[in-house]
Order: sequence, then structure tokens, then C-alpha cells
Amino acid sequence: MNNTPLIRLTDVSKVYHLESGDFTALNHISLDINEGEFVALMGPSGSGKSTMMNQLGILDVPTTGGIFIAGKNVAGMTNLERTHMRRDVIGYIFQKFYLIPLLSAYENVEYPLILKYKKRDTTGRASAVLKSVGFDEELSTHRPSQLSGGQQQRVAIARALVNDPKILLCDEPTGNLDRKTGFQIMDILVNLNKKGKTVILVTHDPKIADYAHRTIQLEDGRIAGS
Amino acid sequence: MKDIFFDLSLRSVRLNFLRSLLASIGIVIGVVAISSMGMLGTNMQLMVKDQLTTGINIITVTPDVVRAEPGSPVSSSNDITEIQLRDIRDAAGINEVIPIDRTNTQFSIGSNDGRGSIYGLDPDDIKNIMNVSEGTTIRGESDAIVGATIAERFNLKIGTRIKIGEPNISVTRPVVRVVGILTSAGLSSSNGINTDNAIIVSDTWYTSQFGGGNEYDQVNVYLKDVSTLTAVEDAIDKKVNRNKEVVRISDSSSRITSVSSTLSSITTFILAIGSISLLVAATSIFNVMMMSVSERVQEIGILLSIGTEKGEIRRMFLYEAFILGIIGAVIGGIMSIIIGYSVVSAMIGNSAYFFLPESIVYIPGGMLIGMIVCIVSGLYPAWRASNLDPIDALRAE
Repeated sequence: MNNTPLIRLTDVSKVYHLESGDFTALNHISLDINEGEFVALMGPSGSGKSTMMNQLGILDVPTTGGIFIAGKNVAGMTNLERTHMRRDVIGYIFQKFYLIPLLSAYENVEYPLILKYKKRDTTGRASAVLKSVGFDEELSTHRPSQLSGGQQQRVAIARALVNDPKILLCDEPTGNLDRKTGFQIMDILVNLNKKGKTVILVTHDPKIADYAHRTIQLEDGRIAGS
Repeated sequence: MKDIFFDLSLRSVRLNFLRSLLASIGIVIGVVAISSMGMLGTNMQLMVKDQLTTGINIITVTPDVVRAEPGSPVSSSNDITEIQLRDIRDAAGINEVIPIDRTNTQFSIGSNDGRGSIYGLDPDDIKNIMNVSEGTTIRGESDAIVGATIAERFNLKIGTRIKIGEPNISVTRPVVRVVGILTSAGLSSSNGINTDNAIIVSDTWYTSQFGGGNEYDQVNVYLKDVSTLTAVEDAIDKKVNRNKEVVRISDSSSRITSVSSTLSSITTFILAIGSISLLVAATSIFNVMMMSVSERVQEIGILLSIGTEKGEIRRMFLYEAFILGIIGAVIGGIMSIIIGYSVVSAMIGNSAYFFLPESIVYIPGGMLIGMIVCIVSGLYPAWRASNLDPIDALRAE
């Protein structure tokens, strides 16, 4: 294992130009996250958690500063390269699951494989991953709207995992689930972390944050403590 | 292997089935409008052209006006001579050449007097170029066949006798006997002779009465291949009008050209009117596609955030436009056959040309245009969808 961190933020700022004036969502943040870490991001509303997640998920680029993911500078990449990195290196798990409503549970998991290999999956990988997160196989032809929240989140995790990403970005993954299901989902994430995935998790819930190795507190766009 | 983006588009169309169908109906109407109007115009053109082209393969050679040199006597006749006829035959090559005598004179049927054209032709030639609807063709010396109009007007029957020539007390007028009545030719004479009002007799009878045994009033050349028209005309001109203009060479092709071009402008015009309906259809497709994009903003956000390329998003929406286009074009194509056929039959009263390639091509043509209109209408919505910001799109509800 080399010493380069999997994710490195150097002096990252994100400024939104609003009519009411400039709003600094991230203020000169520097941060390293190593491969295999389990990091929780906490902070009150408006502290910059979502902006931070967008930056880590390369859905956005910083106003100033540099973000390096797996050694590559995000700012220097083309749009298409960023798209491919989102597809291959990062897995997203959202609070609202964000499954594709027109696709079945199975197809939702197969979808990233199709994006990557430009053909339907014939290897059985999608089914295997669904099974590994404890998804009921009988439900695999169901549309997301026919599934419970817990099942939907399992599909979402399977979708995030299917292209074997290095990083799992989880934006309040238990926020829409009851407590019991929430802990089941957390167990899955802990297991994935043990198998080597780098997990970054945004949460309001200190009990959920306790699963992490490291907690980063954000306040007004700055790191208040870690 | 089925494309998942095509699947997504298909499912989206199915999910909003009624809306999609309504948008497609616009295309259906557009396709039907273009196809039926195009077919109507073409059928009209084909029919008129066909009516006019009967007779287009005929070159008519008539004597030119005689202009005598000052001082020299004006020749007594300006007919086509035997020598000129031979030259025409040479120039015409394999094509049939028929010399015709013609005069205008009075005749009497019983107590009725009339005036009309008398044509003198070789009986063998008559057989070749004229259609007898009743009776037989000319066999005997004083046999005659008559045109449909003259037969109707004078109530001529087979066997009726016609006295030919100006009434003259001192001379008994020669008599011919009607042995056949010709089919009506109408405006389009298929043999280059206006026979409806004519009495046709054998050339030998004609010359015995009107003289001019080796001279003719008109020579018709019947072309075997109409595309050789200009070449044959040039050949005749070169051969017969060697030194000076002695014969006039004419055909009816210019008439067809001008009528055809008029009709083709009319077709273009009605097609343009039909296209307006496609413009309306384009607007409705555009509208539906924009609705589809704005309803699926969050879905687009998801797709983009998990690594879908912009091109793939564009493809998904273009497929959707394509599906709407296919539905519209197929229904429109089927309806075009039915409606187009009815319109053509009703307005032209003749569907003989409907299934000719020139006419039926408007159906695939209309379908293709309908689909192109659909895809073009989907271009901007697809582009817009692919250029959404994933963060904003995800946040949309």
C-alpha cells in the first residue's frame, strides 16, 4: 500500500454567486482520506456537508483548490472523464434511494454494468451483488415503487457496488428508514468497509456516526473538528 | 441485445400512453396529409399526361407555305410530293410512315347536307391506325368509315350511303357506303388525325374523285420509340428541307410539357399546404418531449450522477421521439393507403394510377418525413436533458 491518500482535498473552497451576495459553502478545506477508512461527516444544516459530498462525488468542481481522487486531479479532467470516474470509482447511496423508477430492482443494479460494458449483463454479477446485500431475489422484477424502504436501499447499495468502486459515498443512507432497518443497512456498510471499501457517510445521527473510524465536524464551511 | 436506453424510452412512452398517442396523432395527420395530397397531385398528373401522351409518338409532316421568288410563277400545288414522301420514309427508318390526303367538302346523307373532312388513306394503313367500333374496315373501292361524332349527328348506320361533293345539277355526285364507325377519339387522337368529324375513304377512291395521285396533304410518322422523336424529326428536316423549308414538322410534346409543369406546380402547392399539418405535429411532439424531460428531471439527475454519459441521455430522449414517430408514421402510412385511395378515387374518378411507383412512393415518403420531423422535434429536448446539472436535477421534485 502506498502513502498517497485515496482522496486529498487541498485548500478547497466553493463559492456560490447568489443575488444576495457571494456565499461560501466550503472555506479553505484541506483533508486526506485514506483507502479503507470509514469517515462520518457531521454538522448542522448549511454547514457545507452536501457541498462537500458533491465535491467528493465529483458532481461539482471547487471554485479554488484541488481535489485528487485516486491520484487524479478532478479539476483537470474532462466532463466525460469525470462521468467515467463517477461510474467506475465511486458508488453513491442516497437518503431517498434515487432508484430509476422505470427499471426493475434487478435492472437498477444491472444499469451501471451496462454503462460500463455497453451491453446487458450476462455474468450474473448483478444478481450476485443483490444477494450479497440481503435482497430478496423474488422481488428482483419489482419496480422500486413496489418495494419497502429497506429493500429499496438494499437495491441502491447493490447498484453502488456492482462496478466494484473504491469509494462509497453515503448521504444519510438511514435517514428515510426506521431504526431497525437503518442498523441493518449500517451493518452492510460496515461489512463492506471491512472488505476494503472506503466509506464516507453524512449523518445527523451520532449513533450512526459511531460506526465510523473518524468523524469530521463541519461548521460554516470549515472543519471544526475531527 | 436490447438497448436499456431504448427500453427506458419505451417504458416512458407506455407510462404516458395517452399523451404519447395524442402527440403521435399529430404525426398521423401530417403523414396522411402529405401522402394523400402528394398522391392526389401525382395521380392527376399521371392521368392528364397519359391522356395527352396518346398521340405523342406521332410526327406530323405538312407542306409549308409556298413563297414564290419574285417573277417566277407560284406553283399550282403545295402538297407533299412522292419524292418528298420517299425522303421522309428514308429518314423515318423503321418507323411507320402513312401519307394522308385530306380535303374539306360538302356531303349529303338522304336529305341532310353536311360539311366535313374527307381523308384518303391506304386501306392497309387504316387497319393499322384506326379503331373501328362497329362494322368493318374499308375493303371495297367505295367503302367508307366515319367518325363517331358524324355518325351520331347524322344517325349513320352500316350501309348508309353518303353523297360526296358540292351539289351540282349537271353531275351525279359519287356515293360511298358506310361500312364501319370509328371509336370516339375525343381530344386525344391516338392516330394524329381528328377522325371524329371525318369520313375516311380509300386513297384510290379519293384520288379518283379529288385528284392528286402522287401528292399528299399530310404525312404522319408513327414512332416505335417515343424517345427517338427529336432524332427522327431532325433526320426528316435534314433530308426533306435540304435546300429550303418545304415541309413543316410538328408534334404535341410541347403541349405536354406545359400542362405537366402546371400540374407539377399545383402538386407542389398542395404538398406545401399538407406540410403545414406536419409543422403543427412537430410543435406537439416538441411539447410532449419537453414535458417528458421536465417530468423526469430527477431521474435524469440520478442517471447523470451515477455515471451516465450525456450522449446516452440524449439517445434515450431521441429514442422516445423516434418511438412516437414510428407509431405516428405506421398508423399514418396505413391510413394514407385508405384515405389516399378514397380521395384519389373520389376526386379523379380513376384509381388506375394509385399503385404506380410514382404515386405510392408518397406513402413511404410521407412516413419518412413524419419520422424525421419527430426526431428533429426531439433534438432540443434531448439536448436540454443531457445538459442538466446533476446536482440541481437530483434536488428537483
